[in-house]
Amino acid sequence: MADNTDNDSAKSSIGLYLCRCNGEISKYIDLDRIADNLKSIENVKVVGIHDALCSREGQTFLKEEKEKHGFERAVIGACSPNIQGIIVGKALEEKGLNKYLFEQVNIREQCAWVHPDIDKATAKALALINGGLRRVLTLEPMEDVEISILPSALVIGGGVTGMQAALDIAAAGFKVYLLERTEELGGRAYKLSMTFPTHNCGICCMQYCKECVFTPKIEDVLQDEKIEVMLNSEIESIEGGFGNRHITVKAPDGPREFDVGTIIVATGSKTFDPSDLPELNYSSPDVITTVELEQLIVKQREKGGSIERPSDGKVPKTINFIQCVGSRDRAKGNLHCSLVCCTYAIGQARELVKLIPDATVYIHYIDLRGPYRGFEEFYDAAKQEGVQFVRGRISKIYSTGGKLFVRAEDTDAGALLEIESDLVVLSVGQEPAQGSEKIVEMLHLQTDIDEFIKDINPMFPPEFRRGIYAAGCAQGPKGIRYSIDDAKSAASEVIRLMRDGTVKMPRITAKADEFRCRGCGRCVDVCQFDAITLIEDGKGGQIAKVDEVRCEGCGTCTVACCNKAMTIIGYAIPQVIANVMGLVEEAGQ
Amino acid sequence: MTDDNFEPNIIAFTCTWCGYPSANLAGVNKIDYPANVKIIRVMCSGSVDPAVVMQALERGADGIIIIGCLIDNCHYVEGNKNAEERADRLKRLLNVLGLDSKRIRTEWINASERVKFANAMREFVDEIRELGPAPHIPAPKRKELTSEEIKKEISRIIEDTGAFDCVECGKCTSVCPVARFDTEFAPRTIVLRSMEGITDNLANDKDIWTCSTCEMCNSMCPYKVNYSGFIQGLRGTAMQLSNSPVCSQGGLIQSAIRIMAGADLKQNRLDWVTEDLEIAEKGDVFYFVGCLPHFDAIFADREYLELTRTAQSAVKLMNAAGIKPAVSNEERCCGHDLVWSGDEENFLKLMDKNLELVKNSGAKKVVFTCPECIRTFEMDYKDFAEDIDFEIVHISDLLVQLIDEGKLSLPSMADEIIATYHDSCRLGRHMGIYDSPRSLIESAGMKLVEMENTREKSACCGVSAWLSCNSAAMRMQLERLEEAKKTGAEVMLTFCPKCRIHLSCAANEELPFDRERVNIITKDLTVALAELLEGK
Repeated sequence: MADNTDNDSAKSSIGLYLCRCNGEISKYIDLDRIADNLKSIENVKVVGIHDALCSREGQTFLKEEKEKHGFERAVIGACSPNIQGIIVGKALEEKGLNKYLFEQVNIREQCAWVHPDIDKATAKALALINGGLRRVLTLEPMEDVEISILPSALVIGGGVTGMQAALDIAAAGFKVYLLERTEELGGRAYKLSMTFPTHNCGICCMQYCKECVFTPKIEDVLQDEKIEVMLNSEIESIEGGFGNRHITVKAPDGPREFDVGTIIVATGSKTFDPSDLPELNYSSPDVITTVELEQLIVKQREKGGSIERPSDGKVPKTINFIQCVGSRDRAKGNLHCSLVCCTYAIGQARELVKLIPDATVYIHYIDLRGPYRGFEEFYDAAKQEGVQFVRGRISKIYSTGGKLFVRAEDTDAGALLEIESDLVVLSVGQEPAQGSEKIVEMLHLQTDIDEFIKDINPMFPPEFRRGIYAAGCAQGPKGIRYSIDDAKSAASEVIRLMRDGTVKMPRITAKADEFRCRGCGRCVDVCQFDAITLIEDGKGGQIAKVDEVRCEGCGTCTVACCNKAMTIIGYAIPQVIANVMGLVEEAGQ
Repeated sequence: MTDDNFEPNIIAFTCTWCGYPSANLAGVNKIDYPANVKIIRVMCSGSVDPAVVMQALERGADGIIIIGCLIDNCHYVEGNKNAEERADRLKRLLNVLGLDSKRIRTEWINASERVKFANAMREFVDEIRELGPAPHIPAPKRKELTSEEIKKEISRIIEDTGAFDCVECGKCTSVCPVARFDTEFAPRTIVLRSMEGITDNLANDKDIWTCSTCEMCNSMCPYKVNYSGFIQGLRGTAMQLSNSPVCSQGGLIQSAIRIMAGADLKQNRLDWVTEDLEIAEKGDVFYFVGCLPHFDAIFADREYLELTRTAQSAVKLMNAAGIKPAVSNEERCCGHDLVWSGDEENFLKLMDKNLELVKNSGAKKVVFTCPECIRTFEMDYKDFAEDIDFEIVHISDLLVQLIDEGKLSLPSMADEIIATYHDSCRLGRHMGIYDSPRSLIESAGMKLVEMENTREKSACCGVSAWLSCNSAAMRMQLERLEEAKKTGAEVMLTFCPKCRIHLSCAANEELPFDRERVNIITKDLTVALAELLEGK
């Protein structure tokens, strides 16, 4: 049933090239044996082996081969096409090979590197390449899909990341819609009393000091004519696809609708809620989070005097910081490291030592992590100033006789400690912001195990992001400085797309066969991207039509389609089966 | 099954976003796993067609593993959930076929989970090694035919089917239900082209697959050309020329049938036999059930079908008349869908197995509910095999006979139901059974109202042998439903499971007009009669 393409492909010739990858492949796979086996296969016009096809020499070699042998299709056995494929195929494309008639077979990551037995690896590589040969004969030449990008951007989230991105995009001359869920810009960074490494307030990262009342960074945003700020606003719906999305926003003064070409998601993060972990005794008034300590410090700054603990207003003399609360332990919150807590807690500890000179401040840590320039100096200064660092986990925080105790381990001293404590500060980690899951759903973004938005493999071409960039803490815990870097890099990608105005996407989209379609609508039901509509077929019935800009090529519709009218270009049933047959049959001689 | 040297052939379908990168990461970290695993990259786990999986198992793969993103984390939102649901249905089908459902596995692995990937591969390979090889069905053999031989073959078909007598009057085209909606298609011209002896045509002719073989043309042809036989012959020859059809369901069903033809299987096709049913292993009467259990698995998402109820009902009715029919787990597909899609080789294997089975059961009489099965036995088996000495009976004829003999009586209905009857092409035009079904409906006390096109002129359900079910088929189905609705009947009764599948499918689809126009229940007549017996 599957072999109905055999006739058409008989005329087609294939160039087959194998890459030694400077020994990385040839060490584990006998490429000569494979070449010998496959050279006499019908359609294979030429077989070549090269040390490194992705190198300049390799690319020149491929170009010369293409000119000399003039094959129409090519199969390359090399590394993963997800990583280097775009480069390896480039040389052949330059010499007129249609890139849709090219198949790169992964014999490195998925063969040479995982099967130490040379015979087994060679046999498998032979089968894989044979599958590639069978598949390439079923492919059809194509042109890319050209997509136009509207010259306007939506930035979701008005924190430090969102503001920076909006400013950069506006500076490049594009209209920006900046959406913020709360009543003010600035996000969480704006509320910090001090930040690393200068130990100034959070806004300093936005250039100036908080004491200025109206922060110039926020002012810059508000005054930029290219930026339209929408406060107290949430996204109602997003329709459309890459380059042209119609946004409906629920704003206090009614709905607002507009179209954008690109989107930056800067929804930020929230802190872990420690009430789920009873051993931390968070219900006790003198067990507070770093965020709550922040408020105490701010209050002190406004009112003067010393830091007062919540229960009785006493100035705390023994203070314990507990690190990694909600981080680095899947059973107790999250597996990920929240990255900023070490630096942040040290900053607060230094502040406390300064404000309460006779206080003893302990920091209970597992590892100290501060992969930032200036961190080591910052940590050193804290030690000089008398902050006590205790390596080890704490097992519980408990109150007895009106007193608060921390039971901790000191792994350096090999001792168990019971420390009476006036105040305990929990260094709570970061989690994705509330409400971000709604945005994720609307934009069809993928999240990672930790629920933060997953970045697409950076090895993929940027177009694969389809004009949507996640930046800042929406993508994972980050410090302010790194969020700003992130915002700037996302903004520069977005600006590039909008300046180009168009982008070419690989034509891996669904296609409806008019003759086979019965207009039943099953494809419409399963499509998550609203890419398929039923239109009149002019004969009183309906027929499916695919919007190839909206279609992301997942192919769920092709399985739903009973009559197999729907196919994904390059992944039609006969094409996949040809590949399968190549893997299961005895290849070559 | 356990061969110490058996090394399973495993195909892993990995999605572009998580499955494939997790395998790459295992590679970068040099975490080894068995070389039995061969990876095919697809866009999404949700794009892996059960038809591809089945054909991979048929043609040499021993196990299939589908790897996608973590559930709730699919790059395409719900692709992996779709994949899971489809794999579950496919496992049901494998179970009926007697292929272990463990041969299909789904795994949800994040792009970063390299160790999980390698572990899943090791585990799966071990499991399949334990199971032993899947039945590998060789691709149907192609005779290398010279153009002279092809011409001779076509001439033979023309002779055999009386197509030689065709006077090109075009009556066939004028009554053809397909031609009415698909203006490109004309039965007359297919005959014409073959008569001209152009063999190239047959190698590329897609029209031969468009015909629904409903035999409307046969019944109307003034020169009694056996048009459907002519098409059946051409299809067999076309397959030799690599002209094969694109099947609905992607060829999943044909693939399952080829597995039944070519493999020793420990099938599970009798799960429908409940305790209240009396069946025998051997006996005078053999009930040939057909592929109802398979269809229930394939169409598990259309819970309204409940096709195996037909088999239960048939046994109940026979039991009520004192017959304890033999049914067999060893039964195979009758081969109808293969012979009508050009695969004579596998059809003959099925025929041999089924005839052997009936012979061993000692049956003198074989009873059928499925119109396709009875047509295949009565006409195709008798064409190919000589020693068929058992009686071939349709359940409708049997029940009428039992009622006449006083062995079965149907209680009369409290409230009279108005019903219409749809003659399926196989039971009607092919087999000429028109009266018994109607007589049964009346003896059940139902009021029978006829549709505009009935008996010899009964309309087609649009598809046969899972070939194209396109918009022309859709129009045929909707028109038939409309006809039924117009009679004022509450229910359309029929014997053919496929007519039910096709007509009820159309009635449940997105329609360009008010659903009320076609909103009528399609019900199996055997089931309706058994319900009456039980007083439902």
